[in-house]
Amino acid sequence: MCLAAWAEVCSAQDLRAPTSAVAGEEATISTTGSGKATFYLVGPGVSHRNDVALGEEIHLAAQDIRNAGNYVAILCSESCHRASFYVTAAKPVTLTFLVHPSRVPVAQGDAVSGVALPFDQYHNLVLTPLNVSFELTAKDASLWSKSVRTQNGAAWFRAASGKSAGPLQVAATADDLTARRAVQQVASDPCNLRITGQRTRTGILVQTQPVHDCAGNVVTDGTIVTFTATGPHGTGTVDAPIKQGIARAEMDAPGPVVISVASGVVMGNEIRVGAQ
Amino acid sequence: MTNRSPKQIRHHFLVFSAAFLLMGFSLHTYAADGAVQVKLDTAKAGPRAVESLTERGILRDYRFAWTSMAQALEFNTLDPLEGPFSGEAKQWLRQTVASQQKSGLSQKYLDQTHHLEAVFYAPEGDVMELHDTAQYQVQILDGNKTIRDEQVVVHYVVLMTPGADRWVIRHLQAVPEF
Repeated sequence: MCLAAWAEVCSAQDLRAPTSAVAGEEATISTTGSGKATFYLVGPGVSHRNDVALGEEIHLAAQDIRNAGNYVAILCSESCHRASFYVTAAKPVTLTFLVHPSRVPVAQGDAVSGVALPFDQYHNLVLTPLNVSFELTAKDASLWSKSVRTQNGAAWFRAASGKSAGPLQVAATADDLTARRAVQQVASDPCNLRITGQRTRTGILVQTQPVHDCAGNVVTDGTIVTFTATGPHGTGTVDAPIKQGIARAEMDAPGPVVISVASGVVMGNEIRVGAQ
Repeated sequence: MTNRSPKQIRHHFLVFSAAFLLMGFSLHTYAADGAVQVKLDTAKAGPRAVESLTERGILRDYRFAWTSMAQALEFNTLDPLEGPFSGEAKQWLRQTVASQQKSGLSQKYLDQTHHLEAVFYAPEGDVMELHDTAQYQVQILDGNKTIRDEQVVVHYVVLMTPGADRWVIRHLQAVPEF
């Protein structure tokens, strides 16, 4: 009877999981009892089975717990006992930085946005709040900056684009980590669209003056300008792309006409050209 | 050596084809069954509002992802992970399946209920973070021996991104609490 009671005490096994574990750092699980048992570790990316001696510590290798998440340790001899524990992300080593758009017209409100997500070296999302500084610079001049604390592992911003065409550098910095992206700023809609025209032997040659946006940036080549000629014989329209800042077209209209110009929603001046 | 007539070969081919079709049908039924319940709350999502079409897509694709994950971990097969998962989530799930194949373990996720809450939706809609309070019965088997069978509540932080035709789980990380 005494022997039976002794045996029961000896065979009673239990395990104690770590109260806190960090991804990629070794941890130990303590066991009680005596004799042999089978130990299982099941978690994100791992499913191990080992023979262990009860009463000894079980060492969890760094690579076995590199994924943050929920792990369960199971110890089986006559019966199975289990303990679960969580592994948290290690310190951040990279910032995933998503920035939109890749091209943006100048002087547009809330036109540039970005999201930063910190990850540790094992690609676990770092959920501990972290200050992320966002900064927009163009031609080495800071246009805008803001510090944002991550919430649930994410920080974001939205900002206006700059006033000059050219590359816009967008940076996110958290402690000693920096991620940079570039956004190409292009001229906005044309401003003060003006045309001149003159008769030639074959028709009317109309052309714009150099097309700029309201901030003075030359409007991007390829932007379409529409010339419309209205006369006693009806209306004719020609679309012409801007090339090197100027759009030009030749219109066929023998009688007197009024020629107007537009690009997108922007209207320009009108000119009158007499009959041939 | 046994010589088989063309008639016998045709018979075997038909039997195998029928078995294969039945197996495919049962897998499809499994993937589409109603064992995975998902509820989604988008009231706190921001800065971008979640459109109703997006909401439906998230519900559909999240449910499918968990059905596929359960299938992969029960049958120790990688195929179900193709499509609903990408990035780090797919990576660790593949590692889990490979590790289970080596150790002879498998897992069953039964009677799943997921309460999803969208907590962040990026301004341009290219990433959504969700909190999932998942309840399910989990069984861990060593061969045919069940070594764990319990009802659990697990909190997951989930990152989903839009793919060509669906939302995919890019990150799935269990946490003690939100």
